[in-house]
Amino acid sequence: MGEIVLDVVNQRTAFATGRGMLTAVSGVSLSLERGKTLGLVGESGSGKSVLARSIMGLLPRAAVTGPGSRVLLNGRELTRLSERELRPIRGAEMSVVFQDPMTSLNPTLTIGKQLTETLRFHKRLSKAGARQRAVELLRSVGLPQPEIRVDQYPHQLSGGMRQRAAIAIAICCDPDLLIADEPTTALDVTVQAEILDLLQRMVREHNMAMILITHDMGVVAGRCDDVAVMYAGRIVEQGPVREIFHRTRMPYTAALLSSIPRISDPAHRRLDAIGGRPPDLIDPPPGCAFAPRCKHVSDRCHRVRPEPVTEAGHMYACHYPLGMKEPA
Amino acid sequence: MRYLLRRVQRLAIVLAAVTLVTFLLVNVLPGDVAYEMAGINSSEEEVQEIREDLGLNRPVLVRYWDWVTGVFTGDWGQSFVNKEDVWETIVHRFPVSFELMLLAQLMALAMAVPAGMICAFRPDSTADKIIGGIAFASVSMPSFMSGILLIYFFSLNLGWLPATGYEPLSEGLWANLKPMLLPALSLALVEWTILMRTLRAEMISVLQEDYISLARAKGMSNFRILLGHALRPSSFTMLTILGLQVARLLGGTVIIEQIFGIPGIGRLLIHAVFTRDYIVIQGCVTFFALVFVAANFLVDVAYAWLDPRVRNERLSHG
Repeated sequence: MGEIVLDVVNQRTAFATGRGMLTAVSGVSLSLERGKTLGLVGESGSGKSVLARSIMGLLPRAAVTGPGSRVLLNGRELTRLSERELRPIRGAEMSVVFQDPMTSLNPTLTIGKQLTETLRFHKRLSKAGARQRAVELLRSVGLPQPEIRVDQYPHQLSGGMRQRAAIAIAICCDPDLLIADEPTTALDVTVQAEILDLLQRMVREHNMAMILITHDMGVVAGRCDDVAVMYAGRIVEQGPVREIFHRTRMPYTAALLSSIPRISDPAHRRLDAIGGRPPDLIDPPPGCAFAPRCKHVSDRCHRVRPEPVTEAGHMYACHYPLGMKEPA
Repeated sequence: MRYLLRRVQRLAIVLAAVTLVTFLLVNVLPGDVAYEMAGINSSEEEVQEIREDLGLNRPVLVRYWDWVTGVFTGDWGQSFVNKEDVWETIVHRFPVSFELMLLAQLMALAMAVPAGMICAFRPDSTADKIIGGIAFASVSMPSFMSGILLIYFFSLNLGWLPATGYEPLSEGLWANLKPMLLPALSLALVEWTILMRTLRAEMISVLQEDYISLARAKGMSNFRILLGHALRPSSFTMLTILGLQVARLLGGTVIIEQIFGIPGIGRLLIHAVFTRDYIVIQGCVTFFALVFVAANFLVDVAYAWLDPRVRNERLSHG
């Protein structure tokens, strides 16, 4: 067992809406070791981004965090810290890469400025020192001509280059935890692999822990150590990548996996899409949240919510797990 | 270059429209400058004679054409009343009004920017509601009324600032500023609300942007986020309004200069209207239009300063 960087215990995040409380994340627990990558997978609206923001403490003011929720970073409980106490941790011990580098970089500040302000605040570098470090960082993320790029504005860079710059900002203070929130969704397909490779290299070089949020099971396959599948605000299946792919228990995970197109598929085969839509999170049904869309649903699924079961590091929440003779 | 050409084109159209309309309007008004010059006890014949002397009996469009060709050759004409050169009078008077307008806008900005940021930071908070209340009370009061109230408090009651008057800059900066503060403030009290509300609205949406989340994720303080990250991208609409407000300010100075006895271009215009001195009216109106167009040109330049995306577009389009 390596050193535990992140521990999330029973995270609950809800939002007050006009129709009532919307529980976006309900009772999520996970932990992450140094040097490991956790793939957090789910559809849009499954709560993965809210979970990421809950960890960073970047929730909007309308958000309510559950009383028993705890987020521990390097053993320190972040949920107890004030905004002021969190500042030296944010950006230094944990940082984030957002989905769209068009909107996550400030259009009115140069790349260099956005990098150096972080360096100067956390590392107390001089102006010249920070600039020099910024150029080095831009070079290390593979940005061509970093001496020129450092004085350019985000709009002067291509999407892929912008995401590289955003990654440079995220890793500039050697964080212990990096949260990459769908870092390639907004990019061209050709650039996606490059950015994922870069993230993987950064995790290795800086010995970080990374949460890679994605809706693409294909991204998870080669690049993560563990996977957590989220559905309707809960983790419904979690475990080592190999285990999840080969011994899928939860029908939702299976549905996600079969929605990846395969090269071995015959041409023009229809992709398996998951019918229906995720449930209403304001007034969720009593049973399993996936029941209305599940192929293997029974009466019990509609009435009783399955409790998570863990066997040999593989957690799932299902009454009728796949590949098992007897119901768990 | 193309851009500049377009601007000049627009300026020409604006000027032509504005001057022609005022020319016609002044012409429609009852009475003319001849009455004013002849005096109260003059006969209709005397008035008619003056009219012929001045060429006032010619058709409106002929007189307008005369005036336009004059302006193009640098001759803005002479006042019918005191025979002073119109251009010189305007150039002499305008700096006074300009100082008043500039001071008013600076005061308005000095109130609007911090207030707008506080309101946008926590919308619907107590601070937001209080500031919003003050702002609406302030904008609901016409500037001549707040001007009179300001005179009452600061000049009559407290005796801190003079109620009227003007001192040239040669008398020293403070001596020059002192009588300007109250008139500028009474103009600013109307303008700041509009600036504050536009900044607030735009900043509320900017604060939802990912790059603000990222700034927070980097550990930046709220103060720094507001000032360093959010203010610039939130200022575009406010800047546009700032340019458009020049028109309102030009109108405002006309009244405020009257109340505070400031010898600016506004008073020149009022006097000219009362005496139907249409050459001076034309001069003032043309000059106002020039100032307005120039101010909005400056706003465009400021966009480029605020937004690097605009800057590059300009460069690449040459």
